[in-house]
Amino acid sequence: MITHLNPAPRNPERVVLLGARGFIGSALRKLLDRARLANLALTSADLDLSTASAADGLAALLKPDDAVVMLAALTPDKGRDVATMMKNFAMMQSTCAAAAKVGCTHFVYFSSDAVYSAAESRVTEETPPSPPDLYGAMHHTREIMARSLPKIPVLVLRPTLIYGLEDTHNSYGPNRFRRAAQKEGKITLFGGGEETRDHIHVDDVAALALRCLLRRSAGTLNVATGVSHSFHEVAQAVARQFGNIVEIVKTPRANPVTHRRYDIAATIKAFPDIRFTALEDGVARVHREMPGKG
Amino acid sequence: MRVGFAGMTHLGVNSAAAALARGFQVTGYDADGDLIAGLRRGEPNVAEPGLPEILRKHAAQASFTANLGDLSGCELVYIASDVPTDDSGASELAGIRKLIEAVSGVLAPDAVLVILCQVPPGFTRALALPLERLFYQVETLVFGQAVERAMNPERFILGCSDPAAARPKALEQFLSAFGCPILPMRYESAELAKIAINCCLVSSVSVTNTLAELCERLGAAWPEIVPALKLDKRIGQHAYLAPGLGIAGGNLERDLATVCRLADEQGTDAGVVRAWIANSRNRRDWVLNALHEAVLSKLEDPVIAVLGLAYKQDTRSTKNSPSLALLGHLAPFRVRVYDPVVPASEAEHARCHEATSELDACEGADALAIMTPWGQFGRLDPAQIARKLRGKLVLDPYAVLKASACRAAGLEYRTLGLKAGT
Repeated sequence: MITHLNPAPRNPERVVLLGARGFIGSALRKLLDRARLANLALTSADLDLSTASAADGLAALLKPDDAVVMLAALTPDKGRDVATMMKNFAMMQSTCAAAAKVGCTHFVYFSSDAVYSAAESRVTEETPPSPPDLYGAMHHTREIMARSLPKIPVLVLRPTLIYGLEDTHNSYGPNRFRRAAQKEGKITLFGGGEETRDHIHVDDVAALALRCLLRRSAGTLNVATGVSHSFHEVAQAVARQFGNIVEIVKTPRANPVTHRRYDIAATIKAFPDIRFTALEDGVARVHREMPGKG
Repeated sequence: MRVGFAGMTHLGVNSAAAALARGFQVTGYDADGDLIAGLRRGEPNVAEPGLPEILRKHAAQASFTANLGDLSGCELVYIASDVPTDDSGASELAGIRKLIEAVSGVLAPDAVLVILCQVPPGFTRALALPLERLFYQVETLVFGQAVERAMNPERFILGCSDPAAARPKALEQFLSAFGCPILPMRYESAELAKIAINCCLVSSVSVTNTLAELCERLGAAWPEIVPALKLDKRIGQHAYLAPGLGIAGGNLERDLATVCRLADEQGTDAGVVRAWIANSRNRRDWVLNALHEAVLSKLEDPVIAVLGLAYKQDTRSTKNSPSLALLGHLAPFRVRVYDPVVPASEAEHARCHEATSELDACEGADALAIMTPWGQFGRLDPAQIARKLRGKLVLDPYAVLKASACRAAGLEYRTLGLKAGT
C-alpha cells in the first residue's frame, strides 16, 4: 500500500538513478529522457558503490532536492553467496549514508519479489516477507535500511519476473525461451511448465516507477500485472512469434509445482487508470525489436 | 410497568420500540434534544422498516426525554446506546461508562440495570454497581431488520452475577413478555457469547466468499451449491451463505478486533480470525478489480454509475460501506450516484453527479455497479438499464438483478460466485 505525497503529478527537480546501466535502469532512464525529466544516471563505471569511498563520492553528486532511485545490485547470476550479499549491503550502506548526509525529496528502492516465500501462491503487499535465500534476505534487509533513512519518504518496489529485449539475466521465462527458440529452435520446460507466474514487461515497470516519482509515492508496492500464466503458456506465446516452428519440450519434473498470483488491488487503488501490457502483446513487441529474428 | 432505555441510538430506539409494541410503558432518554424532539414526532433518525409506525401507534405509552432524572420512574432501565468503534474496530467505551455512571445516579433504589450495548468480556463485572441488580443482555440487532429481531428474538442471553439466582421481578416480567427462551449465564459468558455468534457468522461469510471466488474462476455456480449446504442439518436453512463484499457495518469488525486482542493477551492462536479479516478486505475490492479490468484500464475518462451508498439495504448507515470505499478509489473518474436514503454528498467525490433515480444514474455511463442490495434495485428492468448505459458492463455483486434477464438485454453481467459470461 502506498500513499502519494504529491496530490497531483509533479516533476522532481532531478532524478538520480543508481544502477542506470541495468535492465530496469536503462528502461527507466529512456523513459525519463522521453519525459524530459532532468536525471543523473550513474553506473558502476561512474561510481562503484561497494567501495569505502563511495558514500562521499555519491554525497558530492547528490542535491537535497533530488529523487533517488536505487537499482544497483548484484543479481543472482553474479553470485548467490555470502560475499555477494555483503557487497550488496556495502552498496546500500554507501547509498544510505550519502542520502542521509545530503538529504533527498524521495528515495525509491527497487527490491524484488524474492523477499516472499516461494510457498506464497497469492501475494499482496500485506504478505509478510520470508526470504528463502540470501538474495531475498539481501533485498529485505536493504528495504529496512532504506526505510531507516531519517525524514526521507521511501518507496519500496517489489517487481515480479520482468521480461524485455535487453534483459541480461536470462532466467527461466520469456527471455530465455525467446533466445532458445531463436538459437536452438526449441524451448525446454521444467516438467510440463505447469507453474504459473506473473510476467511484466520492463517498460511497464519503468512507467509505474515514473508514476510513483511524479506522485512522490511512499510505502511498499508490488510491481506485477495481476495476471499469471503457466510457463507452458509463455512458451506457446513465444513459439507463436516464430510461426510455431519451435518445438516445446517437456522434461521429467524435478520439483513440485508452485504457483504465484498477485492481487494488484493496491496498485489499482494508487493508479486507477494504470494499464499493463498483456503477455501476448509484450512477447510480440520484444520479438519485433529482436535483431536477427527467426 | 415502565421500562427505561438510555441512549436513543440505533440499538436504543429499536429496543424501545419493541418494548412499546409488547405493551410496556417506555421512557426513552437521550441527551440530544433534537433527537428526542424527532422521536416525539414519531420521526426517528435511523431508517428501519416498521419503526416509525410503531412509534406513532404506541405514542401514548412512550415518554421520550432529554431529562436524565425521568429514568428514576422506571423499574427496569436498559443502557442501550450504540458503542462507537475506532478505525481498528476497537470499541470506544468512555461514552458508555459515562452514561452508566449518570444513569446509575438517578435509578430508583430497587430498579434493575441492564447493559444492552456491545461491551467486551469483563466489562460488566468490573462496574462498581450492586451485582444482584446488574445484568448484561446480548443484543443481536441486525441493521435493516432491527425492529423485527427486537420484537421476536430467538432467545435472551442474560449475563448475571449468579446465573442460578432468581431474577428480579421486573426483569422477569419484561423478558417473559417476548415468549422466547431465556439463557442465564455468568457475565463473561454472555459477553463472549455475543462475540461467538458473530464469529460463527463471519466464518460462514468467509467460507462463502472464498468458495464463491473459486466458483468465479472455475466455472462453478455458487447459487447452485447453496441449497445443498442449507439442506445439511449441520449448516442449516438460515446460514449466512450469500457472498458479499466483505464485512461492514462496524459490529462484526468490532468483535473480530476484540477476539484478536483477547487472544493476543491470552496467548491463544487467532490466526483463523485474522484470515477472516484478510478475506473480508480482499472481497471488498471485487468491484474495483472488475471495473479496472473491463473499463478503467481501457477507456479514456470513463463514467461509472453507482447504485447504493448504504453499507446494506434498509439502513442509512454507511459505516465501512463498500460503496464509499469504491468511490474513494474512483476519485479520478466521473461517477453518477443514486441511493434511496443516503445523499451523494457522503461520498465526498469531486466528480460526482447525484442522480435523481436509478435510471438517471445509468444515463451515459460506461458501467454500472450495484453496491447496495436495496429491494427497489431488484425491480429495475435490465432492458431499460441497457438503453440508458453507454457501455454494457453491469457489476451486481449481491445479485439483485436476474443474470439471464441482463444477458437477454445485451448487458455484460457479473456477480459474485459466477464466472463472467456464464
